[in-house]
Parts: sequence; structure tokens; C-alpha cells
Amino acid sequence: MVVVSADDDHNRPRLLAMDTGGTMTDTFVVDDEANYTVGKAQTTPDDESVCTTNSFADAVDNWGLDPTDGAGELEGIVYSGTAMLNRLLEREGSGNIGVITNGGMEDQLRFGRGIQSWADRSYAGRLHAREHEHPEPLVPRENIRGVRGRMNMAGLPTLPLYEDEAYDAIHDLLDRGVRVICVCLVYSYLNDNHEQKIKDIAEEVMDERGESVPIWLSSEQKPIRGELPRLNTLVIEAYAAEPSREQLRQVDDGFAELGSESPVRVLTSSGGTVAPEHDWLVDTMLSGPIGGIFGGEFLAEELDIDNLVCSDVGGTSFDVGLITEGHYPTRWDQSLAQFMVNIPMTAMDTIGSGTGSYVRVDRTSERIEVGPDSAGYKVGYSNMDSDVDTVTVTDCTLALGYLNPDSFLGGDIPMDREVAIDAIDDQIASPLDEDPIETARGVLDIVERDMSNELRGLILGLGYSPENYTLMSYGGGGPLHAAGYSRGLEFEDILIPQWAAAFSAFGCACADSAYRYDQSVDEILQPDFSNASSVAYSINDTLETLRKRAETAFDRDGVDPETVEFQPSLRIQYLGMLDDLEVDIGEVWDDEEGIDSEGVEDVIDRYEAKFDQVFQRAAKSPENGYQITMAIGVGVGPSAKPTIPHEELRGETPPEDAHKGTRDIYWDDAWHAADLWQMRDIQPGNRIEGPSVIEAPATTILVPPGYEAPLDENRIYHLQEQ
Amino acid sequence: MSIENDKVGEEKLAVTEKLTNGGEIGWDGQSLQSMLAETERLTEETGHYRGLEDLELKEENRFEYERLYSRLRGALVSARETALHVSASPIVREIGELCFQIYTPEGDSIAVSTGIIVHVHTGSLAIKWMIEEDYEHDRGIEPGDVFCNNDNDLGNVHTTDVHTIVPIFHDGELVAWADGVTHEADIGGASQGHTSIVHTSRFEDGIYATCEKIGEGDELYQDWKTRGERSTRTPMYWDLDEKCRLAGCHMIREAVHEIIDDVGAETFKQFTREAVEEGRRTMESRVQERLFPGTYRNSSFVGLPLAEEGWKPEQQKDSLHHLPVEMDINADGTMSLDMEGTSSQGKHSFNAAEGSMTGGLWVSLTQCLLHDGKVNDGSHYALETNFPEGSLTNPDDPQLSFHAPWGTIMPAFQSVWQNVSQAFFSRGFREEVVTGYSETTDTVQGGGTLMESMAQMIPDEVGDYFPVSPFDLSCQGLGASAVRDGLDHGYAMWNPEADMGDVEEWEMVQWGTQYLSRQMKTDSAGHGKYRGGSGWEGVMTVMGTEDCTLYKASIPDVAFSTAGMAGGYPGSTKYAVRAHDTDLADRAREGEPYPTGDTPPGSFEEHIDGDIERTHRGNYFPKEFDNHDVMHFQMGGGPGWGDPLERPLEKVVADVEEEIYSPETVEKVYGVVGEFDEKNRVFEIDQEATDAAREKIRERRAEESVPFEEFFEEERERVQDGDVSDPVAEMYVDAFDISEEFKSEFDEFWDIDRSGF
Repeated sequence: MVVVSADDDHNRPRLLAMDTGGTMTDTFVVDDEANYTVGKAQTTPDDESVCTTNSFADAVDNWGLDPTDGAGELEGIVYSGTAMLNRLLEREGSGNIGVITNGGMEDQLRFGRGIQSWADRSYAGRLHAREHEHPEPLVPRENIRGVRGRMNMAGLPTLPLYEDEAYDAIHDLLDRGVRVICVCLVYSYLNDNHEQKIKDIAEEVMDERGESVPIWLSSEQKPIRGELPRLNTLVIEAYAAEPSREQLRQVDDGFAELGSESPVRVLTSSGGTVAPEHDWLVDTMLSGPIGGIFGGEFLAEELDIDNLVCSDVGGTSFDVGLITEGHYPTRWDQSLAQFMVNIPMTAMDTIGSGTGSYVRVDRTSERIEVGPDSAGYKVGYSNMDSDVDTVTVTDCTLALGYLNPDSFLGGDIPMDREVAIDAIDDQIASPLDEDPIETARGVLDIVERDMSNELRGLILGLGYSPENYTLMSYGGGGPLHAAGYSRGLEFEDILIPQWAAAFSAFGCACADSAYRYDQSVDEILQPDFSNASSVAYSINDTLETLRKRAETAFDRDGVDPETVEFQPSLRIQYLGMLDDLEVDIGEVWDDEEGIDSEGVEDVIDRYEAKFDQVFQRAAKSPENGYQITMAIGVGVGPSAKPTIPHEELRGETPPEDAHKGTRDIYWDDAWHAADLWQMRDIQPGNRIEGPSVIEAPATTILVPPGYEAPLDENRIYHLQEQ
Repeated sequence: MSIENDKVGEEKLAVTEKLTNGGEIGWDGQSLQSMLAETERLTEETGHYRGLEDLELKEENRFEYERLYSRLRGALVSARETALHVSASPIVREIGELCFQIYTPEGDSIAVSTGIIVHVHTGSLAIKWMIEEDYEHDRGIEPGDVFCNNDNDLGNVHTTDVHTIVPIFHDGELVAWADGVTHEADIGGASQGHTSIVHTSRFEDGIYATCEKIGEGDELYQDWKTRGERSTRTPMYWDLDEKCRLAGCHMIREAVHEIIDDVGAETFKQFTREAVEEGRRTMESRVQERLFPGTYRNSSFVGLPLAEEGWKPEQQKDSLHHLPVEMDINADGTMSLDMEGTSSQGKHSFNAAEGSMTGGLWVSLTQCLLHDGKVNDGSHYALETNFPEGSLTNPDDPQLSFHAPWGTIMPAFQSVWQNVSQAFFSRGFREEVVTGYSETTDTVQGGGTLMESMAQMIPDEVGDYFPVSPFDLSCQGLGASAVRDGLDHGYAMWNPEADMGDVEEWEMVQWGTQYLSRQMKTDSAGHGKYRGGSGWEGVMTVMGTEDCTLYKASIPDVAFSTAGMAGGYPGSTKYAVRAHDTDLADRAREGEPYPTGDTPPGSFEEHIDGDIERTHRGNYFPKEFDNHDVMHFQMGGGPGWGDPLERPLEKVVADVEEEIYSPETVEKVYGVVGEFDEKNRVFEIDQEATDAAREKIRERRAEESVPFEEFFEEERERVQDGDVSDPVAEMYVDAFDISEEFKSEFDEFWDIDRSGF
């Protein structure tokens, strides 16, 4: 329970974002004057309406409000959670799933293309073949039936569907008592005729038998190339996502009972929010951790920043997302709990270095290894309440004086600096014949260098350099390590919002109400654009279908389709290349006419400019023509957004009562007496001079010697070298 | 880009000025040749890389050293990630057949990117060759230059692996080399495909770039580009892959320039040398830590039934290759690998250059000993190798074909893995044991032309030719360890990041082919207390083509490469079945089933009429496939560990229910008898019958067993009388011819004057 900012007796909660984790449910509430508060409650997996309303009550209690008073004011409620993902990770989903695929391809789920045996492993684990292991298939082989027939790569039926086999398959699966039948045939995303025919047959058989189970088609859920990810995504919907639908309704009911008139919206991994009635909840499988990127996008727009790096240092990982020219990229080809899926996900890169990462000496190479495993919430060796027996990154930051042992997480966790130093000496420094303090700093150098390598690689990979970007640092550990991992990268500015520890939750509250639909198209455009008009025709046809789907979804939610903005984009590649780039075509798109052949040429110009930017050193290859691989349609409905603080600047000198004394910190081979500041007492306009440590219950900002950190009118610190 | 261009321009000026004044491009006024000679001398004399007994930078500035390492490796990884986007061929992107390395001026690898690590040392050989051939004075090595090599004899794994090599200069000195390699779908050549077994000489292999300068000023020569465009069947992939390698090398060069700007050239140079020496030391410590010292021996064999399939008279014979491996693992952590007694080089595609063999070595050791990824040429210095000259593993005739050396490398390294596994086992690392693997073969290769009506949608510039080279083969069965079963359908010995790719991706490239299935291959896994990983099988048909030729290369073909360990069985061998002039179209119209596999073997024909070709041997040379012709292929299983009779019953039950083994097979091999309800996949054991069957197997074993002395004597007589098949006799005669040492050891072992072979 933490009050981040409360200088007003009349808070009116406006937006609520909540994240139900495996153990705790966090909420973040913003009022109409940009004040925010956070709350916590024990997660109640059997009925999440209990934990979400409890957590909300805990949050608004900071403002002296009763939840029934607060809820009525809410204009938006955004839910994200890990229940679906945990269900998948822990294999506690709902079984009894039937699958129909092409005859001869019945084993594709357990084959997992081979890639699933190593996809989620660390680099060393990938090389070490002996460790590889396939995930246990979600559907047992006896529940999978094949039906002969084939479509080819142009979507033409080269072998007809063997309908007799389809009848047998449906009967067999119904006999086995499946509760849903997932159908995925090769190239159904280009031509769904065979999948539809199986559905018709299933309905006929069910009518005859007087039974009814849902028949799900991969061409309806995610018409995207790649039969394994398509089938996996459909199966995961049945196994882990759909079982949450009832929970989401309960959460919605819970807030309605508190008096809220605002519907609960669920955050998707691609950045929008959807109603619990959304056709395919698998889109919401993985959303919490990327919330920060949506918060970054929102801040970038508010503060007029073109390019922003969102960096999040948590207990187990360092997560980075890039917003370039106002947009973050989306990816499909990722794995989820070892399964290849085609869920569009906001691009976020992760390395396994966090504040809880274990630090060890490899006795063979005499080198320090950090992670990839981590003590997580147990923090470190020096946590006197835990049984961690290996030094962690946090032990090193504690040894160097950066952290206050008496108020770690508001004092909830008892830390002992001497214990940390002894453990570092014993486990790392002595075996290497080094000094423990220098070793602790060296460990941070390694960790922070890995982080800056990641940042540098990502930015260069997009064809930019760090000078083009502003870095934003958040998460419990971000503000502590920001000075370290930004060293040597000349970012335009480094921002640390005062609400850094709750920034991901803030980001969830920033998400648009949006429905996104993707469709693989594989349209080939001749190098001389001779077929541009037929390509335009075909694209318009596809995008129109996507628009209708989005409008239907809003219509179902009771939102007037007239108020929905349609944002079309295409993914394009040089023919033959295998990596496409996403090009926003909103500017050449006419709501009535779609795009025309000139529009297509214009889009190609944009694609080529983007290609140049990203792959500057490689020549373009227009001589082979182009391939439009995917059409993307996003419908964006009106949604309430948080406001960020706009406060009066109060002068550079912080108030005296914000100063809590001094502590020695180790930086650049020497000890420095750092001023300690209480974060909540620092006023906009105040300038914190390094060496300083700014302490808040959930995070700590390190301002090293030679740095300063002014707090601006938006309550954002700017970490700068003096 | 422009900054980097300026930098290269400046460097070029500096080098030109230096050369005009009689200067050298090596460090401190030395030539590269003298640097190489000095490095070799110092390393030889002291046992430390360049005589570096102390790692000053690492010891005195440990964290600076770590920062440099992580930065350099980060640059290689991000070059690879970015370059991947540019590449075209699914082989590169889907399968990750792309790797970047950075080398010292003398050509010793400092660090490697992720990807196919087989190339740690291959670029090294090519660079050293250029230095020895005095390129620095003769051909010229200057800033902005681009070199290319795919000549195995000079440093490569097989001819379809193409390297782009770029020198990196600072202040008029060559400070490092960047090297990028991709595996090409096609390089021209007498037959299609990336690993052809058809060729008998270099003149059939396709494009050879022999450490050739292919560009300057960061631009490729026009004549070189034209050559690629006109000499490969897939010019688009050739072009895009080349762009990808070059872009990556330039990114690495830029990163090196940045690092030198930050830390200074001297620190960078010191770091690169210490990194190699550190690699050497790490390798030795790992060996000491994990392997039990001793001399370990094993032999692999490769059966090549080409009497009927061979095109050229010289290849039309059934032969067996001999690949013995002896390894000394020493208490000080050094190792040696000796292949004395290996079969001689020959007129076939399986010749493996020394670079190919060391590539196989690194890709093996990185998977079991060095998987932290910090492998470099230092490891190479910790290991001595003997690949006998003139043998299959070190041919001295560059005019031979080097298209499919994997047909030698993969079987040979079965023996290496088993030797290392014994050493792991002896140290107590039972879980690290790898009994072997199924070699990555039997996938369909070839190509064809798309039918006129279909080809209209493809731009003319791309052409209507489609290559067929899916990487199904990257998902074989891995052998068992000494504590658990092997990995099913998911292992390729040359790249542990296996991925068979989606059918929808492959068919988007190989337009005229269609998969009819990909399914489990029952009875392919090697038996044992811990069974090998299972293989799988597929069926493919051809549609919408004008002409299409396909072929299949198989290992193990008619003979096992190695056995299992501790009583485990090898995985199954491969075979071939295909149908031409079929009734597939009629069947489809009538709703009659078409084949989706060949389990049990022989069932393929039950679902297709036409000219059926079924052979015990798995390979066949390119054949014409008409529309609706159908072919079967299969990925093999890994070898097992331990006596099958010790396999727990519940595991045997699961094997049957998962179609790893048929009920008939488990009865025969494991003595497990039961009733299998195929539809519901329930296998119920008949305990009484199982007890009886197991007892019977034990009795049979007892009856057939003889004392060792008796067995040895029987075998000795066979050796003396030459009582073996012709290919076996010919194999030994050839091995005796090429190695007097092997011959005398052989005779001594069997205690004979001479064999009857």
C-alpha cells in the first residue's frame, strides 16, 4: 500500500488499471488531476472479482475513499492478468480439445517443428542439445484426426477434401467427448473453403446426433501464414484463454456491483483493449509486461517525443521496447511457453539480467557470470527473510551504498549490507583475488554493459543511433541502473517518471480501445507496378473485410461504428526476402474508396524509405518486385486517457525536509558522500545534484557524481551529466 | 553510412600512403606473413597463444576485459540479427544458417556470433591461406576490399557454404577480419540442391570462389555479380544472401571502429590476443573438469550403395568408408584426435577437407563442452588433430568434389561423440552422454520449372525455376543419454537450433511440390534401456510443374554408422519408395486414400497405383518427377543406451501408445506382449505373456553366447580367410594401402601376418 501522490482531498478516480498476478493483484488509479495511487490485494484465482475490487479498495483507501464512492466515477477500467499464461505454463488449462488437420499432418502438434524443443532456452541452453525437450502437447494424439485434401500455395484446391473422412473424424471426436473442435488445414488462410466445409459437415453431424460443441476454424481466428503457429494459437485459445472468459465477466460484474458504469476492458498484447466478449481472447494472453510501452507511447505523444526507448529493469529481466516516429512495432513469430504462436505482440526484447539475477564465478574460465536464473521476489543473499544462498545483483547494489537497507520495498524486506559484502567477498571476490567492493561494481558493469549492448543493438538494427532517442527508465530497478546502462550511449535525454515503479500499470491505463485483425495476403506486385490496380483491388477487399470485423466488434460493445477510426497498414517485402516491414497506409487510404494504384506506388515509396533506414548498408532489391504479405486493420474506438501531472515549478532547491542525510556510495573507483532524498517531498523544479540517492518505497534513483536530476512540471526526472 | 564511408576512405588513403613508402599493413611495421609466422612460432614454443603466459588485461583490468568481450560479441550477434532480415533463402532465415566471426590479423578467431558455429575455424584457414599466398603484396588487401571463399580445400565446410571476408583497418594497420557465411540453396553445379551426392569432381560442383577478391571500396565488382547471376539456378537467393553477408561484415567493421575509438587500438589489440589465449585455457579447464583422462577409440562406417545409382562409371560401385577415431584426453586438459586408418579420398562428393572436419569438431564440442558460446580459435590450439593426408578427411586433390562432405563428417563424429561420452560417463556425467544421432539426410532435393499457367504470377526477373531443398532434415532423432531417452524429431548435429519449418513456408519457395504428410516413423528409434529419439517420415507429390527432378541422399543407408552404447541398438537405416505415373488424381476424385506414409513398410503401395520403385537403399540420383508422382522420405532415429530388457514397462507402453514402436517390435525386442487399441491409443500388457517372452529372450541370449576367446578365434579366422563381403574387404585393403601404421596395428591386434582381404 503506497501513496505516490495525494495532495488533494477530493480525488475523483477516473481510470483504473489492474494486473492480476499469480500471487498479488496490483491496481493503479488515476484521478482527473493526474494524481495516482496504487493498491495491492492477494489474488483470488477462483473469483477474480474479489481480488480486483479488494485491490481497488486498497488503492482508493489512500485517498480516504470508499470503493463504492470511487467506482462510480470511473471512466475506464483496464484489466491485464497472468491467469491465462499461468494456466498454460503450469499446464492447468482445460482439456478435451479435438483437432482436425490435413490427413498425414496429425503429428504436427507434437513435432512442434523441432524448434519448440529449444525456442525458450538461454543461449547456452540452445547450444547444449542434451537439454532440449519438447513441451508436452496440449492435445493428446488420440484427439487429433486427419482429413485428406490439400490447398496449394496459391490457395487453389489441388486435392479435394475427403468428405467421408471428415464425417468419420467428427463422429470419432464427438464419441471421445471433446468440448471443442479446432480445425486447421494447410493454406486455409488463403482459401478457407475446406475448413468451412468441415464446419458444415460437423454441424450436420451434430444436428443428427443432437449434440453441440463449438467448431473453431484457424482461418477465422488468425488467417496468418504458418500452420503450426496457427494451430497452436487456436488450441491455446481453447486450452488457456477461453476458460478465462467467465472470470472476466465476473470482474466486470464486480465493478458494476460497486457502482461502476464503465465496462471492464481487457488489454491485448498488441496494445488495444477489448471487451470480455471479444471473439478470440488469446489476443490477451500476454499483456501486463508490455504495458510500459503503451505508457511510453502515450508520454511520447504528450511530451512531443518522436523516438523513445522504453526500458524496464525488473527482478528477473531487462525489457526494452522502441517507439520510433511515434510507433512501436508488432511481431508474430514468437513463442509462448515453448509453443510457436501467431499472436500479434508489441515488440519487446528481453535479456535475462534483472536486479535479482544470480552472480557466480565460472571456476573454469575464471569469469563472472550473471543470470540467466534469478532469485526473483526473494531479492538476494542479504535478504534476511529469505533462503537465497547465491549473491544477486541487488546484493551488489546494496554493497555499493546505492540502496537503503532499512527501507527496501518500504522496509518490508530486511536487508543487511555487511552480509551482502561478506557474501560477495566469499563467493566472487576471493576466488578471483579481487576486492569485494570493486567486484560488486564490476558485476554492475557487466550487467549494465549487457543492457547497453542490447539497447545499442536494437537501435542500430532499426537504422538509428542512440542520439536520435530519448531513454525512459522504469520498473523497480530501472531508475537505479539508468545511469549505468546509458553510459557510453549518447541519448538525447534520460527520463525517469516519479511513478516509475508503477509505470507498466500506468501504461495499461493508456491503451486505446481497439480491435486488431490481421490477414496474410501474399500479393505479388510486379517491379514495374503493371498489376498495381489489381493489387489495390485485392488489398481493398481484404482491408474492407477487416474493417467490418472491427466495426462488428464495436457494435457488439455498444459503440457507434461512426466514432471508430480505422487504421489500415500493410506488411511488405522485396519478393524473395523473408522479412517484411510494416507500413502505415492511413495517409493514402480513403474511407470510401480504399487505395488506388497510385496509392500502391506511394506505399511502396514509403516501404523503400523505411527499408533504406533499417538496412542502410544493403542495397535494395526492387528488380524482383514486391510482396505484400499481410494486411492489418485496426479499429480504434473512443477511450478515456490518463492525464499526466502539470504542476507549477517551485525553484531549484529542494525543501529541507526532503533531505534525509548522507550515505557513502562507490562510483568510478572511489567513495562519495551522497545526499539522500525522500522522493515524495521533492517538488517540481527542484534540481538534485549528484552524488545523490532519491529514495521511494518501491524504487530508488541513483544520481552519480557528475550527474544531476531536475524534476520537471510533469514529475519526470531528467538524468543528465553535468 | 556516410561516416563509415569516410572512415574507409581515410583508412584507404593511410594504407596507400604507407604502401607507397614501402610500409606493411601488419602491426608495428610487420607484414601479415611475419605476424603469422611469429604467432605460430611463439605458440608452438610456449604452449600459450603468442606466448601469452599472463593475461595482463584480464587479470589487471578484469571488468574492462569483460566489457570488451561482451561488446564485441554483442556486435557480432546484432550484425547477424540485422543481416538475417536481408537474406532471402529460407535456409538462412528459418534455419539460421548464417554466422559471423571476427579474426585476428593472422586469422585466429576471436569471437563468433550465434548461428551455425561450425564455422569457427573455417574462415581462419582461408585467411591464413591468403596470408601465406602473400595477398598483401600481390593481390592487395586494402580497406574496403571484399573477399569470397567457398573452396573447402582452402577453408570451408562444404561448397554451398559461402564466405564473405572483409579486412578491418585502423591507422593504416589491419586490426581484424570480419567473416560472414551463409549456406546457399544452390551454387550451380551438375545437379540441383545444396548437398549433392551426384558429383565426382570439382568440375561438377558449381561456382568456386577461391579466396577471391570480389570487390573494393565496399562495392562488389560488376563481373563478380554477373557471374553469380548467370551461374546459379537461384540468382535471387545468391544475390540477397551475398548482400546479407556483406551488410553484416560492414556492421562488424563499424563496431570495431567504435570500440577502438573508445578504448584505443592498443587495448583492442591486447584484448583480441588475450581472448584467444583465454579460449585455449578455458577449453583445457573444461576438459579437466568434465572428461576422464584416457585413450578412447571408436569407428564409424558409411555404406555407399552406388553400383546401380551412379551416373559415372567410376562411381558405380557399392563401397564402405572406414572412419576410425582415436582420442587422447590428457590430465592437463589437452586433447588429440587421430583418424589414422581412414579410407582414401575418392571420386564422389563425400570428400571432407580439413576445414570441414575441424568445423565438425567445433560444432560437436560446443554442444557438449563449450556451450557457454565463448568458443574461439583458442580452443583449436588446445587440441591436436590428425586427419591423414590423402584420406577422405584431408584430401590432397583439390579437383575432387567437396559437395557433400557431411556424408563423411556426420558419421565420423558419431565416433567422436561416443568417445567423449565414455569420458563423460567415466567422470560421472551420465546425463551428458550422447550415444549418437541420425545423420541429417533423406530430405528431398532438386528443383523444377513452374507450369506456364502458374508462372504468370511470378515476376519474370525471378524466373520460373524453383529449388527444392527443405530443411526437414534438421529434425532427426538424437541418441539416448545414460539417464534418459533421446530427443525425438528435433536434432541436427551441425546446428542444435533445429527447425523443420512450416509446410506453408517451404511450399511458398518450392512452388511445384506439395507435402502429403509429415508423421511419426514408427520403429525408427534405436532400442535400449533408454531409447534413441524417434525419426519421422513424409510423403511429397509434384503438381503444376513442367519438369521437375528430385533425388534423395541417405545416411545411414544400407549400413549403420555406429551402434548404440552399453547394449543399446542403433537407429533404423533409411530406404526409398516412390511412385511414378500414378493414379493420384483419380484417387482424389473418387475419394480413395492416397499414401501418407509407409508404416508399416510396404503400406505405401496399398494407397497408390503406378510404377512403384522400392529399394532397400535409401539414396537415389535425380529422377524426373511428373505431376502427381509421389515420393516418400524419412528422418532417422538416434541410437539407444543399455539393454532393452531393462526398459521399464510403463515406458514401453508409452512407446506403443505414441507410435514410437509397433506392438510387434516391442514384443520382439523388449519382450513386451499386449493388446493395442489403435483408435484410442491404449496398449494393455499381458503380464504373463510378457514374463514368458522376456524369459525366452534371455534363454536365447544364453544359448547364443560364447566365451570371448571362442568369439575372437572365430572372427580371427574370418579375417584371415577374408570371409567378409566385398565392400568390407575393399574398405580394409584401401585403409591398409593408405596407412602402414593402421595395417600393422590391425595385423597385430588379430595376431596375423596378413589378412585374407
